[in-house]
Amino acid sequence: MEDTQPAGDGTRLTLRHILTFGVVVVTLGGIFLANLFYTAPVVSQSERRTLATLPIPSWGPVSSAQFMDDFEDYAADSFIGRDQWRTLKALTVFGVYFQTDKSGLYFGDSGAGKFQPINEASWHKAAAKIQRVADSLEGMNIYYSFIPDKSVYAGRYLPGFDPDQARALLGADLPDLAPVDLTNSLSAQDFYRTDLHWDQTKLTGVTATLAQTMGFAPPTLTPIETAGLFSGVYPGQLALPMADDVMTYVDLPESITASYLNAKTLAWEDGPVYDLNRFAGPDPYDLFLRGATPLVTLTNANAPSDKHLYIFRDSFGSSIAPLLAQSYAQVTLIDLRYVDWKLVPDLVDFVPGSDVWFCYSSQILNSESVLLVH
Amino acid sequence: MLFSSVTFLYYFLPVTLAVYFLTPMPGGKTRWRNLVLLLASLVFYAWGEPVYCLLMMAEVLVAWVLSLLMDRYRERIAWRRVFLIASLVVGLGVLAYFKYADFFISSFDAAFGVHVPLLRIALPIGISFYTFQMLSYAIDLYRGKIEVQRNPLDFACYVIMFPQLVAGPIVRYAEVAAALVTRRHTLVGFAEGGRRFVVGLAKKVLVANVMAELVEVIRASGDTSFLAAWLYVVAFALQIYFDFSGYSDMAIGLGTVLGFRFPENFNYPYVAASITAFWRRWHMSLSSWFRDYVYIPLGGNRVSVPRHLLNIAIVWGLTGFWHGAGWQFIAWGLWFAVVLAVEKYAFGGVLQRLPRGMGNVYTLVIVAISWVLFDSGGFADAGTTLAAMAGFGASSVVGPESVYYLRSYAVPLLVGIIGATPLPKKVMGWVAKKKVYTVVEPVLVALGLLVVTACLVDGSFNPFIYFRF
Repeated sequence: MEDTQPAGDGTRLTLRHILTFGVVVVTLGGIFLANLFYTAPVVSQSERRTLATLPIPSWGPVSSAQFMDDFEDYAADSFIGRDQWRTLKALTVFGVYFQTDKSGLYFGDSGAGKFQPINEASWHKAAAKIQRVADSLEGMNIYYSFIPDKSVYAGRYLPGFDPDQARALLGADLPDLAPVDLTNSLSAQDFYRTDLHWDQTKLTGVTATLAQTMGFAPPTLTPIETAGLFSGVYPGQLALPMADDVMTYVDLPESITASYLNAKTLAWEDGPVYDLNRFAGPDPYDLFLRGATPLVTLTNANAPSDKHLYIFRDSFGSSIAPLLAQSYAQVTLIDLRYVDWKLVPDLVDFVPGSDVWFCYSSQILNSESVLLVH
Repeated sequence: MLFSSVTFLYYFLPVTLAVYFLTPMPGGKTRWRNLVLLLASLVFYAWGEPVYCLLMMAEVLVAWVLSLLMDRYRERIAWRRVFLIASLVVGLGVLAYFKYADFFISSFDAAFGVHVPLLRIALPIGISFYTFQMLSYAIDLYRGKIEVQRNPLDFACYVIMFPQLVAGPIVRYAEVAAALVTRRHTLVGFAEGGRRFVVGLAKKVLVANVMAELVEVIRASGDTSFLAAWLYVVAFALQIYFDFSGYSDMAIGLGTVLGFRFPENFNYPYVAASITAFWRRWHMSLSSWFRDYVYIPLGGNRVSVPRHLLNIAIVWGLTGFWHGAGWQFIAWGLWFAVVLAVEKYAFGGVLQRLPRGMGNVYTLVIVAISWVLFDSGGFADAGTTLAAMAGFGASSVVGPESVYYLRSYAVPLLVGIIGATPLPKKVMGWVAKKKVYTVVEPVLVALGLLVVTACLVDGSFNPFIYFRF
């Protein structure tokens, strides 16, 4: 047999039995009691998410087993020392099994990241949504880009994101729009080591490619200011300690100002381009144009031209838009995750002859349902 | 509820064991503890299947009543047979309805070109296991091999005891009848059972789940190369073995903690040198069930050669069908029927004369082919994978994805391959002779529990293949 049938009867009690008994009882019983008296935080700072709370039993959720599912989530989320347990798991994956990723999360010389394959169905739907928006923007110069997953630049083969596949897919679905391929304008060093985002101060290649394709004067990426140290999303997701990144930003001339649409009052309110208060918040990348904001307008009083640019964007767009504002009279950022497209024409003036740039990261294109275009 | 879950390990199990061991045993009788065990088992089952818990209880009640009637009319063979048939009809009828109805309907639709709508009934967890336990009880009672259990709580405790309720081993009543009345609970039994439970838990969480991940990613990668096909089938073979044998270890270990001795279910099947030997080592409680209740009543091998071949086909067709309601499962069973028949009548002798290593390779290849059938979505799907394994796939010898995943999962694969052989047991047997084993075992148990807990808290991929049976 694979293991000796535990005897129980007749076997002499030894110190080994007493110790093994003690280990099992103390571990199961001790952790049970510790969890009973432990109060878990509402939000996990490392995972940047709200933790599950104790579900309230009632007939409906219990009979459908929903209560049990919710309790399983709660039991794992409220486990005492959750972060340390997660670190132990990561150490097992990388240090014992020597796996090169943990559920797609990897780390190496170029930092940490997460690879995931292109969800073709989602990309097709996202492209259809982009096309639908583009169809209603007559007389505009419309461009699009996908932001390659940073795993492309990890310096070793990682399965998942294939720029050729992405290029071919969007090229076939958006034949009338002009592509701006950023793949060769980026490198591993252009992304933060601990985060998925690109570093605004390293976007020389990207802005040069955009300038060349869209026909504007390349912006300058100096002087550079430092916001401070920060840790991106990956150390928390990996549950492994990593050295912090330094977040820097390009200081802009005072002629560039920002105004934000207040989603409640629908009024435009002035605010800083770089909000250092947000940098100290849960997501430091919100430093750039306050992060998750449906509509933002950057106005440049000393712009070299009177041209307007409309960017349909995600969080990557927040950091590159201030740079592009050096070259345009006005840059309007539209985040379709937070405003339905059908409301946008009433809130934004689209000036004919302007440039339009759809710029989405692979994460957004892989989950197109977040784009509110119906 | 899954054994490998935070809820089970750190809520259900400590509370259940505490209540169980604090419950008195007046006169050495375990009746009150059986009641605790029964109530805990109902909570355990209802946690995943609240509605089907009522169905299971109703089945247990009917089986118990019919067994009493069978015992009451034990001197009247005709009536006894009637009640046996009633037991079989109820047990198999419920199983057929909940597990096989849609298979029968879809097969009927396909055969006659009609469109009878499917019932789309959710499969009650563990129904194949507890049904077979109740059937074995009824048949053994009919044959006079066991005494009837007059206490409905003890009978229910036997059928739905949580350690073996949802994935076996399939326990015969005779194996636990005495323990249901009185049993000893010792610290040695607790320690040995606890160790066995942790070993099973580690097999499940640290090997089977990791192999399951590999199966998933290699499938999702779209790599159809030769290497990808073999990587997939090796990972699946290890996943299903460590998944199921790990569950059996956990069940046997928990049974020991609670004072029971459950039958062994696995004995290093992947080191078998023939398919005949493989099936003496894989899911032994199911193989012996079919042997005792189907194969031997059909005449076993004491019949003409054609009839014997028919018996083999029937038993293995049914074994396949037990595993799933699909033609690929029947084909999986019949594949083994063909191989077993060939081993019996064609080259069984040759196999015995071959070097053991060649027998091992032969067995592993036959089993690998069977797992492709078993895990496939259909015959076309299986054919594509088998073609790739044979080097006739649409893709190259290796793909970048398969190379990446081979590298990433090399150590877990090695751990799985070595763990599927008796080598770890031999090493532990050697260590057990040393004084240091006094500390080594508890340290390994502690380490196993801690790492498993870490994986569960982090929300590992945690499927249980045998739950779908």
